[in-house]
Amino acid sequence: MSDNNRPGLDFDFHGKALDNIFETYAEIRDKCPVGHSERYGGFWFISKNNDIFAAEQDPERYSVAPSMLLPSFGTDIPMIPIDIDPPKHWEYRKILLPLFTPQAIRKIENGIRMTSRELAIKVLESLRHGPTDASSMFARPVPTIVFSRIAGFPEQDWPKFDKWVYDIIYARVEYPERAKNAAQAVMDYFNDLLMARRSAEPREDVIQKLLEARLDGNPLSQDELISYCYLLFVAGLDTTVWAIRSSLWYLGQNLEDQRRLREDPELIYMAVEEFLRTLSPVQAMARTCLADTVIQGQKISAGERVVLVFGSGNRDPDAYDHPEKIQIDREDNKHLAFGAGIHRCLGSNLARAELVISLKEFLNIVPEFTLAEPSEQWHGIGKLTIRMN
Amino acid sequence: MKVSVDEKRCQGHARCIAFAAQVFHIDDEGFSHEREGFETVTPELEKYVKKAFANCPENAILISD
Ligand code: HEM
Ligand code: SF4
Repeated sequence: MSDNNRPGLDFDFHGKALDNIFETYAEIRDKCPVGHSERYGGFWFISKNNDIFAAEQDPERYSVAPSMLLPSFGTDIPMIPIDIDPPKHWEYRKILLPLFTPQAIRKIENGIRMTSRELAIKVLESLRHGPTDASSMFARPVPTIVFSRIAGFPEQDWPKFDKWVYDIIYARVEYPERAKNAAQAVMDYFNDLLMARRSAEPREDVIQKLLEARLDGNPLSQDELISYCYLLFVAGLDTTVWAIRSSLWYLGQNLEDQRRLREDPELIYMAVEEFLRTLSPVQAMARTCLADTVIQGQKISAGERVVLVFGSGNRDPDAYDHPEKIQIDREDNKHLAFGAGIHRCLGSNLARAELVISLKEFLNIVPEFTLAEPSEQWHGIGKLTIRMN
Repeated sequence: MKVSVDEKRCQGHARCIAFAAQVFHIDDEGFSHEREGFETVTPELEKYVKKAFANCPENAILISD
């Protein structure tokens, strides 16, 4: 694999590259399941389901330093807990685990339902006047409002969050300066918020848990608190927005499945897993390999960056029957959308609840819809223009 | 059929309780355990436990005959 046509040489998993990424995945899985790309300073990519899984289970070999994000999210400060290795990782992670168990999430389901319902009604009203952007009116506000509520971020600030998230996550590839500025604005915002909360009445939310946490008897420093809040902000908002939007994108083009989910809303639980498998917001995450390693005959040297391509593993024919087909009632659906191992998405129970409930409410209130702009892509958090059929 | 959760592998994805909440329960940190008295799976629960087994992303559910 030394000729210049080496497949995967410019493999990328951001922006425009996502337009036809599934074909790219099929090609690399076939020709170079472990390959090297020259983007972002150079990285190895791992594209097979079982190799990704094995790497996820081996945090001693695959470090998350300097960051799981490639390129970085507008900051060079390690983000807690995603950029932290054992043993410190567990100390940070366990602080918030109790707030994200299924039983904890059940308590906020009603709030998710109410918010989804209110927003879906607005979508319906707008649809009566013509094509409507279901992304800005539904997919974007639902997670942003719900998350602000449990995190303890002022709910009415959601439009501000929405703008910051966009700059940090989507503008970063082309306009790193914009991402840096937005990141700074978010950190300043959390700095002020945390200061204000120190002297306020205790409440039951994420910020309170972080303020009360003790590691070896000491509270988290202001920098640690800001880092944790910042990570939750970038991990919890756009991901869920994307997942809701991509589910609607699929349903707007597949009316038979749309009808099936309306007739049998219980099926939404399974459909959501299938949308996560095939259209997931987190297509890949990075690691740094700490020891010389051979995978699929390729040597990776200690110190090199490695990208685990979840989106490819999720469509690996060695792991799924008809992997490219979106089957909303797929029974065996062990996927990598939330990662695996010690960094398993802390918010997966919340994200699943938001997806199931928001889609249920949307389908309940909005009658049959189709895509008005078929050129709008499956990925990202941009516009999704729909119209009533 | 016997079932147990490998506590070293479980990372709290909670897929098991989506399929077989009668057999598994999730503790306060989000990790799963087989419920007491359900280590031996009754025939009518077998199909749910098998689904949990097939959908656990960490391969943390152990079943044996
Ligand atoms: C559909 C929505 C979401 C998807 C697809 C997603 C996906 C992921 C993935 C792939 C990882 C990395 C796992 C790994 O490398 O093994 C991760 C980590 C994380 N996610 Fe999510 N996520 C979503 C929503 C959320 C939400 C709503 C929150 C809010 C709390 C959240 C918080 C986190 C945190 C804190 C981590 C780091 C965990 C650690 O390092 O221990 N995510 N997520
Ligand atoms: S699905 Fe697997 S990893 Fe998740 S809680 Fe159940 S046993 Fe644990």
